[in-house]
Amino acid sequence: MEREERIWFGALILVFLAFNAITLSPLVPWQEWLLWSQPAPSQRIAIEFGNYQIKLPPQGIKVKAGEYVEFIATSTDVTYGLGAFRPDGRLVFQMQVLPGYENRLVWKFDAPGTYAVRSTEYSGPRHPEMFIKDAIQVIP
Amino acid sequence: MVKIGWLEKWTLRFAVAALVWLAINGFEGVVMRTQMIAPEAVGGLEAALNLIRPAAHTPSSAEVYYSMLTAHPICGVYGFAYMAVMGAFYFLVPTLLKKEIRHKRLVPINFWLQIVSVFAAWGAGFFLLFNSLYTLYWPLPVSYDRVPLIGSIVFAIGAAGIMINILLFSYNIFSTVLSKSNPHPYSLGQFLRSTLGISQLLKWLGKKKADDPQPDPAELPVFIVAVARGSVDTVINAVVLLTAGALILIYGLAALFQTPLNPGVVSALVYKNWYWWGLDMVADGNVLIYTAGVWYLLVPLLVGRKLYAESVVRTVILADLLVSLGVWSHHLLADRPQPLVMTLLSGQFVTWGEFFTMGLTIFTSLMTIWLARPVKFTPALKFVLGSIFGFIMGGTAGLIQANVGLNLVLHNTQWVISTHAHTMLLSGLGMLIFAVIYALIPMLTKLEIRSQRLVRLHFWTWIVGSTAMAYAMGMAGVQGMLRRTLYPLPNPYEPHMAIALVGALLMTIGFLAFLVNVLWTLGWPNTLSLIVSDKWLQTRFHMAEP
Repeated sequence: MEREERIWFGALILVFLAFNAITLSPLVPWQEWLLWSQPAPSQRIAIEFGNYQIKLPPQGIKVKAGEYVEFIATSTDVTYGLGAFRPDGRLVFQMQVLPGYENRLVWKFDAPGTYAVRSTEYSGPRHPEMFIKDAIQVIP
Repeated sequence: MVKIGWLEKWTLRFAVAALVWLAINGFEGVVMRTQMIAPEAVGGLEAALNLIRPAAHTPSSAEVYYSMLTAHPICGVYGFAYMAVMGAFYFLVPTLLKKEIRHKRLVPINFWLQIVSVFAAWGAGFFLLFNSLYTLYWPLPVSYDRVPLIGSIVFAIGAAGIMINILLFSYNIFSTVLSKSNPHPYSLGQFLRSTLGISQLLKWLGKKKADDPQPDPAELPVFIVAVARGSVDTVINAVVLLTAGALILIYGLAALFQTPLNPGVVSALVYKNWYWWGLDMVADGNVLIYTAGVWYLLVPLLVGRKLYAESVVRTVILADLLVSLGVWSHHLLADRPQPLVMTLLSGQFVTWGEFFTMGLTIFTSLMTIWLARPVKFTPALKFVLGSIFGFIMGGTAGLIQANVGLNLVLHNTQWVISTHAHTMLLSGLGMLIFAVIYALIPMLTKLEIRSQRLVRLHFWTWIVGSTAMAYAMGMAGVQGMLRRTLYPLPNPYEPHMAIALVGALLMTIGFLAFLVNVLWTLGWPNTLSLIVSDKWLQTRFHMAEP
């Protein structure tokens, strides 16, 4: 390796280390519970997908801000996606919903408000219809 | 008029077919982008196309949109990119090795089989409304309440044809390299030693002196090494996708003959791992390795200097191949049943291997140009630099999304498909293919590119257009816009989509400037000679001696 190449290679290693250290750390907030602490959830919420429908629990979804909740999503036919969105459309979290599996994700909402649920994976031409406004209510 | 040789003519034919597919691809992109911001503007076109679609019912706008979205990457990747690569390699490999193509009959077979197969797979979407998208997530392609049965079967047949054709092409390239029909035959052992970097390994192990000249006299040119290693990925990709296509075909035929099979016996997660492992041999495999090989070939030729640090380059290409075998999990970071060790190792850390291999590849290419100063910025060199810019932009975006933390808010958003994928394909790979065409036309025809002004127009409209499109879509993605969702109007992403449409139109202007320039350079008689017989032309044009 020539000298310039060694310097460049060293720079690449530094970028690799810095980027991965930052993004694996709790500086990315959800890494704290998804990767490191893995806390026990205070509530489990089952959501069923099938035939272009998102079936929420009959009593709706009401969670407390700052508490850990676990979403358990299942599909009866094809692959869907569970995504929670802020009222302005920004994505909060998502996961794929594979048929034949219990797809689990622990989340902690940091602020009260209402959140929409949308399927984040294409499941056929009626996929855009899979949207529920104000599906999750987060209380103080 | 000039006389164009047999092989040169076939290379140009592959290039023409590739450009036709790119034009279709661009047309689809503009139509879909327009549908997102002004659906009424494409209503007439949709109605006209519905007249020739053999569907039992009038499809909804969403069905048409998703069918076009399914067809779009087929013609972009297997029509445009693969046909351009096939044409270029069929000329470059034998020329660099001073050999004949081993099986000449396979060249036209590859040409026509690719066109017919891509047309079948693309047409299954565009005309027959197969709408499973290129991801083909199980069991959607066999869920006939959502996708049309006949469309599914035709798609599977077309996809199988493409993969078989790619295997034939790869066989012909490998057998050409190994053929003993010239003064520089390579034994299988020499070929493997060269392509697997054994000489370098022996040096590391102390079995060979470190100051031995690199490459060995018996070693293959570095471009051929890249073609060989990239083709390992190409073959794996073809075999894996062939199995997926066969599975879809079996289910389709069973349903057609009223004996439907249960899709539940195939695990959606196992299938997804298998499918993405194969598909990534293109996206994170041969695209990067072939690109590196073309840079290593073109840059020294264009600047008139030996490639900087060639021995390292050979190792880098091997590392590229090894990395490509293990990165597929970055497509499954949002799949919670996927084991964490897989998402962290394969999905995130191994993917960073590409940062090192492409980082060193780009450094080598730029250092070669830097050390050759002053250099003449020929059309090909300009587009090589444009392609490097594209790979830096698209690769960086890819690393950001291939992260177990950040993927949570980026997966399946417009960021993934634009800032990463479209930048890699349009700015990176697209500009590289243009660079190759600009470089090859004078080599194939002895004609110089006619208008530098049109080259500049092509360059700037393409790079500004593709960047604007990628950036606008990417920012929409950061704000939550999904990549496979038709949002009802009005929605907060309309301004982003409008800017993306302007970017697409700029690229259209650049593409037209390129076509005009190429046709002007070749002239009508030479262009016609690609599709009609020389005998017919000789009666109408004076043909110069080669």
